[in-house]
Parts: sequence; structure tokens; C-alpha cells
Amino acid sequence: MKTISIDHLPRVEGNGGVFATIDGHVITEVKLVINEGPRLIERLTVGKTPEEDVSIAPRICAICTVSHKNAAIRAMENALGIKVQPKITLLRELAHMGEFIESHSLHVYYLALPDYVGFPNAIAMASKFPFEVKIALEMKQFGNAIMKILNGRMIHGENMVIGGFGLFPTREDLVWIKNRAIQFMPFVFRTVELFCGLDYPTVPESDTLYACCEPGNGQYGLWGEEIILSTGQKFARDDYKSLTNEFLVPHSFCKRSRYKGNPYSVGALARVNVLGERLQGESAKMYKKYFSPRWKKNPLFHNAAQALEILYSFEKVPELVDEILALPENPPVVPYKTKNGKGTGLVEAPRGLLIHHYEVKDGLVSDVDIITPTAQNAEDIERYCYVAAQKLLDEGKEDAIRDRMDLVVRAFDPCVSCSVHMAEVKHASSDDWKKKLADLQTAGPVFIGIGKEGRSDDRAGLDLAEKMREAGLENVYLESDIEEDHILEGLTGRPLIFLDVVNMGEPAGKIALLPLQHVFWNAVLSHRLLPAVSNRLTLDQIKNAYILGIQPESIEEGSRLSDGVREAVEKILEEITN
Amino acid sequence: MPKDKLKIGIYELTGCAGDALLIVDCEEELVNIFTAANIEVFLMAKSDNRHGELDVALVEGSVSTEKEKEELLDIRKRARVVVAIGGCACVGGPQAAFLDKKEWEKNLKKVYGNIEFSHSQPLQSKPIDAYIKVDYYLPGCPIGKAQFLSTFTRMVNGNPPELFRFPVCVECKWHENDCLLNKDILCLGPLTLAGCGSVCPNFNVPCFGCWGPTEEANRTSEYHLLREKGFDTEVIKNRMANYSGTRITEFFEQFRKEKR
Repeated sequence: MKTISIDHLPRVEGNGGVFATIDGHVITEVKLVINEGPRLIERLTVGKTPEEDVSIAPRICAICTVSHKNAAIRAMENALGIKVQPKITLLRELAHMGEFIESHSLHVYYLALPDYVGFPNAIAMASKFPFEVKIALEMKQFGNAIMKILNGRMIHGENMVIGGFGLFPTREDLVWIKNRAIQFMPFVFRTVELFCGLDYPTVPESDTLYACCEPGNGQYGLWGEEIILSTGQKFARDDYKSLTNEFLVPHSFCKRSRYKGNPYSVGALARVNVLGERLQGESAKMYKKYFSPRWKKNPLFHNAAQALEILYSFEKVPELVDEILALPENPPVVPYKTKNGKGTGLVEAPRGLLIHHYEVKDGLVSDVDIITPTAQNAEDIERYCYVAAQKLLDEGKEDAIRDRMDLVVRAFDPCVSCSVHMAEVKHASSDDWKKKLADLQTAGPVFIGIGKEGRSDDRAGLDLAEKMREAGLENVYLESDIEEDHILEGLTGRPLIFLDVVNMGEPAGKIALLPLQHVFWNAVLSHRLLPAVSNRLTLDQIKNAYILGIQPESIEEGSRLSDGVREAVEKILEEITN
Repeated sequence: MPKDKLKIGIYELTGCAGDALLIVDCEEELVNIFTAANIEVFLMAKSDNRHGELDVALVEGSVSTEKEKEELLDIRKRARVVVAIGGCACVGGPQAAFLDKKEWEKNLKKVYGNIEFSHSQPLQSKPIDAYIKVDYYLPGCPIGKAQFLSTFTRMVNGNPPELFRFPVCVECKWHENDCLLNKDILCLGPLTLAGCGSVCPNFNVPCFGCWGPTEEANRTSEYHLLREKGFDTEVIKNRMANYSGTRITEFFEQFRKEKR
């Protein structure tokens, strides 16, 4: 058994890793492990005042501190029925632009670009790209300066408060921000050309669902009162759980999200894919020039989307400053007397949709729910790593798997402190399936034999199931049995193991235990029956379903099993009945 | 410049990664930081990391899993000097506010249910000196650029760091701010370590205590002052506890005794 692992994923913010297990010609497992310990932030603010929450909750993440601050404030203001004047909203948006400029320029130039030009880090890259490294640094510095001016500090500022601002920026500061933004424009265009024009590898490419805030009024934007999907479907802010459906996995302290059983993506690429047509000005021109259908299915284009958003932010900053300067009056912090309420705040953090939800009772926070972008992306990161690893393995490029998984994870710009270092590849021993099967057997699994009579090895699953029944095992069914719905319904909480032949490109009789969702993600292994079954399985069942596969020699017409497959059936039977 | 450059490792345990990010945010000085010393390990900024012998290890974050505890013990073995950077490493951070183990367990269960973790076991968050000897503490949430650069420069030149030991109030007076306590606003300036430049009071926002407690602070006096101003006992206690981690356990125990 072999594992390709990136134990500490470098150049991502936080602490995580990716592990892929190869068993012969198939990837049997991909895990995105997040080593970051549990901080229980959602529980720490319970019993505290709304003001304390707005101070503590942004400590979840240093990079997205302004996004967390804005999400927390928006949620609290919704909960407490506070309305702020347009100037306050504009200033908050300006601070948010600062974070986008800082985070995106740090990510594209310093964390992502070294991979594409072959350097271990940005400092080493400076020898060949001194201009880019220097000006990107200035750009990042400018984003930080905006945050410092508006929020008091680059990281964890406290100037943005519930109901307004502690202190307003001076006219000089705002004019400086505007002028400085305009000065950067030539370099911003160069950034878009560089990252939108990079030759992104075609592996992995696979369709997915994208989600982001619906900014309203047909605009591109970084927050909203609704969530919009790439399908056009919308959710009201308080209905966010219909999208996120959080659950836990044993290999991470980061919660996961799926929509209707499927992983989805959030982030710069999601925003550009969903809202790109709404871009205006130079951003619209660049979008038209570079956007292609590949953006919709290849996560590596995340870096291109980030570059486009850098342009969007630089165009937006001067507009915002003009609007703010047209409102000379500085409104005082809105006082509030409400002591009870519930509210949700939706914003786009640089790495995607961020949701804060609070309930306040008697003036103190009584319930908190915070859903970070990385938590939502975790499932899709795992899926894309799987797709990339299997595809490279099929192409005989096993040596490329580790670096490619690293590239995929980094493209998502995971914020590990919110939740995620990175990749390792290992080879399974030939007996790997035995250990996994033994683990599953402790959970009382249900076996379902799948196959077709009269097609030589294709009947192996059926034969195995029948032999298991003869051996007196319970909870063994045949393909034809499960057409009765009640059987599947009664299986909650127990692992489902399908017995079937699977073409893995191995010598006949090779056995592997594969998670069912891997089979869905990869057409190479698809089986005619599975879609019909999978439509009737719940998410929990799919996550807990496996295929115990045997490599067939032939599925041509014929009545007998090949020798290798017959031996495999006996081996499995022995293992199960022991 | 000494002939042999110091070997420095920057490590991140559980936290917000803000202290490592602040080092990355030293934009103008970053190249100098990388040339003045051999930065052997810095996961946020580079992929060619060498986990060998170190002169100085800068450790951010609290110990919150078994794996982190092992990693920290290993860092201590390899490093001549260990510096805790940031509130989480120095005092445990906001996540160490559950001082009582049972209360922590109860809340862990509330967030994660009964799931068995396979990758690493969770631990109640503690500052790094709960497990190893720490040579210097660089406080902050996040650490301050000026104090970090001064500490880094002094260490690279073979000198011990010199850190602020006085409360935020001193810096606040330097900035000629009106005292927020005089305006009946719940400000923790008198109890909190300086170094931030009294940034919040400069912006008319009270100090939340995020740099952690000063050793010599008169907490009892601040408590009574805030009570006189009409603040609720629980609100004051919570506010003091938010960023103090394990450092004011004694005060709370004494407080409990007095209340009885």
C-alpha cells in the first residue's frame, strides 16, 4: 500500500495535509486532513455581549479578519434590528476591498506563482522576477494600508463596530487611497494578463456546482442578502442551512458541507463563474477576453479568477472613495436597545462564501453558527484531488500526483486556520482491502451482490453473494432484491458494500475496496446499475457505501468465471466468514 | 554581522495564523529577514522546509491536539531558544478561555458531537509553556510589527529581546487620548500588555485586552471600579477572561474565595 502525502502543505495559510492511497491502478482513498486543533470559537462567544463576539469571532482567521468582522457585524445588526447609513456600508465595503487586494495579491504572486515558474518560494523567485515580486509586495501592502486606515490594524482591527465606526478616516487618507489605487492600474492589468494567460494543466477537469452571495441589483459584489448557485437557484440568508448541510468526518476538525449529496465550490472562481457576466468597465473587457468554458470545470483557474477580482477591486476603490467623499457627515454609532433577536450575515471572504449566524437573548449571545469557505470547499478539494490522482495514474504519471494535488489544494486558497499543509501518496499493500473490510465488518455491514448472468466474470458479485448466504451470513442481498425500497430504507447507519467486478486495469482476480463516491467521481469505474441505486441512497448512505471490486478477465458472453476471479471470490468469502 | 547566520524556524500551532501572517506582512523588511538569518522553516511562506537543529524557534498558536504536543516537544529538543509569539502561544488565546476541563469537554461535544477523530486527538487548548520551557514571550493579537522587528534584530545580533512590560494605558497617554473609563466605557487598558500602540482607544474603541494581561496589573481595583460604574459581574469577568487564557486563573480563584 502506498500513500502519496503532503504532510505539511506549504504555502497555504494554516496546518493541513492531503493523503492519497494507490492500490494498483486505482486510487482507493483521498483525505484532506486538517491538523489545526479545535478552538470552539462558536462556543466561546456564547454568553458574551454582541460587542465581544464581534471582537472574538474574527480571530478565527487572520487573513479573512475583515470578512469575519463584516459578517459578524452584519449578522448582529440583522439580529438587533440596526440600520446603518449608506456611508457606513460604503466604508465597510472599502475595507473589504482592502482585504481582497491584500489576500488575492499575496495568494497569486507569493503562494501560487512559484509553482508555475518553478521556484520553492517567492523570495527565491525574486531573482528571476524582481519586478513582479517587488510591485506585488507593494500591492499587498496597499491592501493592508486600506485595512489599517479603516479598521485600525492590518490584522484584527477593532474600528468597525456594531452600528458604525469608532473613528472615521480623514479626507486626506481617503484621497490617498483613491490616488494610490489609480497608480497601480498598469501593474493590475499586467497581473490579469499574467494569471489569466497562464497555461493551466487540463488535469483535473470535472463539473461542479458553484455558490456565492447574490449582491442584488444585477451587480457583481462581495456581499448580499441571498445566496445564488450556478444553477440560478437562490436561498434567503436565514435559509443558508439548505445549502450547507454541515457534517463531520473523522479525519478533520473542519466541518464539511454538501448540497444535495454533492460537493460544491465557493471562492473567486465561483463568483466569476456565477456573476462574471455582471462585471463592468475594464473588468468586463478582461472577463470577455479570457473567460472560457474550462473555467467552469477546472479549479486551477481559481488563480485567474483571483487576478480578475484584483482588477475589480482596483476599479471599485476609487468609485467607493468618491461616493464616501460625497457624504461629508459622519454618522455616530447607532445605539440599540433590542436585547433579543436572530440574524444571519452573508459576505464573500476572498476564499468564498462566509456565513455568521447569531441568536441573542437578554442582551447576550445564546447561539452561534459560523460556516467558513474552506469548510465548504473541503469536500470538493478532496474530490478534485481524487480526480487528478486517478487521471494521472491512468496516464502512467504517478510521479506527478503529489505535486498536482498540491497545486489543486493551493488553487482553492484554503485558509487552514479557518479550518486547513498538504500532499502524500501511498501504495496500498495487496491485503489492504482485508484490513478495511475487517473495520467495516465491526459496523454490521449490508452486502449487495451485483452482476449479470451469462456474461462470464460479470456474475462474480452474484456468485459471491449467493455463497455468503449459503455460508449462513445475514444481511446479504442480490441486485434484484433491492428494487424493493424498504430494504434500502432500513439500512440507516450501517455500511453498504456492493460486490461487483470493476475494471481497474489490473491482472484478473485483483481485489480492491473502493468508496462508492470515488466511483461516481470517475467515469472509468462506472457501472450500469449504480446510478439507479445511487439515486435512492441518502447522503449518509453514499458516504458510508463501498464497492468490493474484483478485476474481471472477461465480461463477454459465457457461463463460467475465469480462474483468477473464482480464486478472488473464494478469498473474499474466506475473509468475510472468518 | 556574525559569520554564521542564525537558523530560525517559524512554526504554527492552533490559532488564526495571524502572527506568521504579520511576519509576511513585514513587506519592506521581508527580504532582509530572509537574508539576515537562515529561515529553515516557515510553512506559510516557503515549501523547502528543513526540520533540523535550530538556534531560534518562533512558535505561534496554542497546543490543541496530541499531534501538536508531540510537534512542540520535538521543536524544543531541536531549538536552542524558543520564543512564544502571539497571544495563543503566550497565554492560550481565546480558545483557552474554558479554564475548566469539564466545561471544555462539554463544549467540544456540543460542536463535534460524539465523533471519534482518527487523525489526532483534541486537547484542551493551552499555552506552549504548559508543555515546554519558553525562553521569551512576544505577546500580541497579532504580534506588533515594531516589537517583532526589534526582537528579531536583537536576536540575530546575539542580544536578548527587550519587551514592553507596562499596560496599554501608558501608550494611550502617549497618544494624548481621553480616558475611556472616565466616559464610563468598559476599557481593559489598565490590565493589558502594551505594544499595540493603544490602537483601539486611538480609534475611540475600548481596549478588549487582546494582548493578554500584564503581570503587575491591579485587577481587583479595576474590577471594583467597573462595578462602581454599574457593569455586571459576569460581563466584567468575561471581558477579563476573553484573551487572558490561563494567566488569570489565580485571580479568578481568589475572586471566588472573596465572593464566598
